[in-house]
Amino acid sequence: MKSMAIVIRDDSYDKILTPLVFAYLASAEGTQVDMLFVNWAVKALTVEGAASLCMDGRHAADEAMVRENVAKAGLPNDIYEILKALKSSGCVNFYACSLAGAIFGVNESNLIPEAEGIVGASWFLNDKAAKADHCQYF
Amino acid sequence: MSAFTVTSILDTSGKCCPMPIVETNKAMKGLALGDILEIIATDTGTQKDIPSWCERTGQTLLSTTEENGVLRYHVRKDR
Repeated sequence: MKSMAIVIRDDSYDKILTPLVFAYLASAEGTQVDMLFVNWAVKALTVEGAASLCMDGRHAADEAMVRENVAKAGLPNDIYEILKALKSSGCVNFYACSLAGAIFGVNESNLIPEAEGIVGASWFLNDKAAKADHCQYF
Repeated sequence: MSAFTVTSILDTSGKCCPMPIVETNKAMKGLALGDILEIIATDTGTQKDIPSWCERTGQTLLSTTEENGVLRYHVRKDR
């Protein structure tokens, strides 16, 4: 597998961990990973948004336990720190969906510097997802 | 007694997926061709992850041992 495309929609802390971990694993094999953040997940590409991610619904009460165990596993338990670690691998690119950015308040002024930019979903689907060896949707 | 000389040791004890693989990848980048990395792990997921990573990245898994829940892998850097 030379390339992987991942589309992330869910923004709760626990649900965003899985695609980030998969990207981390793929990058450790030298796989090029392109990630598109859509819907509420686009907020993760801002400093404030990444810091505000929490666990929803029936799992909310377990958030402290989950964060503690994430740290025990060796991962940063802060989403922005994970994004920075992924970026430093040199194999992972982050893109914010332009529609999601318009709806949820993410623009060039608050986008984290680790992100490649704000892009149209059509471009991502055609130039990244359709050409990738593997696609995942979360 | 092993038939090879370990160049470097990476202890991932207590850590879980993805960190043993991520740290193995980082450690291998710092080695020269032919060097041998010993990886110590307690995450049982590494029993499949390490061989898979070696195959994917072109490294050679020389040995795998397990004793009292501690896994040791010896990987030779070939690429």
